[in-house]
Amino acid sequence: MFAVHTEDLRKEFTLKKGLFERRTAVAVDNISLTVKEGQAVAFIGPNGAGKSTTIKMLTGILKPSSGKAQVLGLDPWRQRSRLVRQIGAVFGQRSQLWLHLPPKDSFELLAEIYSLDKKSKQYKSRLEMLIERFELAAFLNTPVRKLSLGERMRAEIAASLLHRPRLLLLDEPTIGIDVVARQRLRELLAQWNREEGLTVFLTSHDTGDIEAVADRVILINHGRVIIDDTIDGVRHYGAPKSADTGEPPDMQSLPALEKVLSDLFTAK
Amino acid sequence: MLKTAQKLIAVAKISARANLAYPGEVLGRGTFLLVVLYIFLKLWQATYSESGQSKLAGLSLAEMLWYLTITESMWMSAPKLAQQVDEDVRTGSLAVKLIRPLSYPLYCLSANMGERLVRFSFNLALGACIALALVGPIHLRAEALLMLALSVCLAFLLDGLGHLIVGLSAFWLEDTSGLYLIYTRLTMILGGMLIPLDLFPGWLKNLVVYLPFPYLVWGPVHLLSTPQAELAASFLELAIRQLACLVALSALVALLWQRALRRVSAHGG
Repeated sequence: MFAVHTEDLRKEFTLKKGLFERRTAVAVDNISLTVKEGQAVAFIGPNGAGKSTTIKMLTGILKPSSGKAQVLGLDPWRQRSRLVRQIGAVFGQRSQLWLHLPPKDSFELLAEIYSLDKKSKQYKSRLEMLIERFELAAFLNTPVRKLSLGERMRAEIAASLLHRPRLLLLDEPTIGIDVVARQRLRELLAQWNREEGLTVFLTSHDTGDIEAVADRVILINHGRVIIDDTIDGVRHYGAPKSADTGEPPDMQSLPALEKVLSDLFTAK
Repeated sequence: MLKTAQKLIAVAKISARANLAYPGEVLGRGTFLLVVLYIFLKLWQATYSESGQSKLAGLSLAEMLWYLTITESMWMSAPKLAQQVDEDVRTGSLAVKLIRPLSYPLYCLSANMGERLVRFSFNLALGACIALALVGPIHLRAEALLMLALSVCLAFLLDGLGHLIVGLSAFWLEDTSGLYLIYTRLTMILGGMLIPLDLFPGWLKNLVVYLPFPYLVWGPVHLLSTPQAELAASFLELAIRQLACLVALSALVALLWQRALRRVSAHGG
């Protein structure tokens, strides 16, 4: 089954220009893509490329101007209330945890919001597993405002997994986090994808995140899909033209992903 | 329906707990309340003395100060819901709240209610101590207090809807602070927070009873000074008016929210 399937998905915004003039801006320009369940996809692009708009259409927050979208077999806009029970989302700069209360309290609230039976064995074992894997025990009872950014983000992702979503959408989850904490987060996401079969749809400007978590890269710019390939496949785009002999290139000789993406982002 | 109610109670509870995180803020509000009530006492002492009457709008000076203690406690307990909604809309934080199986307006209202009940309880306890120290006790009837409690809950719900309407207007307005200022000042004046409605000129009182503002503050507190024989009828009339406002404002919020959802735009990349 497909976790995400879009056909010519498009989003236009009408912008005011002066008192009477209106201008149409295309944020997402007929994107068609398919993500199988269990895949880990990095959805990347420069600022203003249309990443967040696409994610918001996939979560049902934004209504597409045209085209089709199916997420876990549901129409995100029309069936949002059903869909939100099956997806988790982490927006790096927006928190779902209550700042003045410990993460434990936010978990309990989320359990109520998702109508989870807090007395059931299933819920208790899920919570225990999340606490153990995300190493939350040490600060489970500490107010969120006193946590480091790395601890906060671990709690944030754990909270978004509490209701056993099949698809996790992450919008720049490692932004502002130090190197060690970032590495730990990447490992956790990759592990969850590998072992639990969770579909991961990640946007990030950090190539380290992409290489550690994703097995596929979808690069968009100006609202269009530019490249849809594996990480190694993307690195081929940076291979020097003279080396294009038809032979598979030596991976060691290919430029780093960061360099390739930087060139692709700046290319007109 | 039951599940939704459970969710809303859970939101109200966590919001109430979060508000207990800062005892310093409670102390700050208490100090402010002391200053405000002392100024009111002096102002009304002068007014009573100037008028040469022992009662104004059916209230003695002590009863007037208790009236103001409760209205101030209600007023100062209002959380910053309108600003919160405005911020959610402008910063895109709304996205986090939209991907949950719970309506955003209901989430806001229940969080607002939880926080407000805690703040009001603290304010009232502090205010009662101050009023006792300044003018001593007044006679209060148990049934009037019970009716006050019920109508205060409805008043908070109504005010929450008012704040929500102001906050949601951020979808259409560049800046909602002007609208917020108008709304809060109308509540303060036409709601009877500073002066009981019975002291308004007749034409103004007859006009404002058709607006929701008196039922946010004056209506509930007025029950305390209503004669015993008229209490039940006054409470019933107030409850009907509050419920009518609740239906009208809920419908307006639902309409605004329905339109606002179409205007949600993506913030960030």
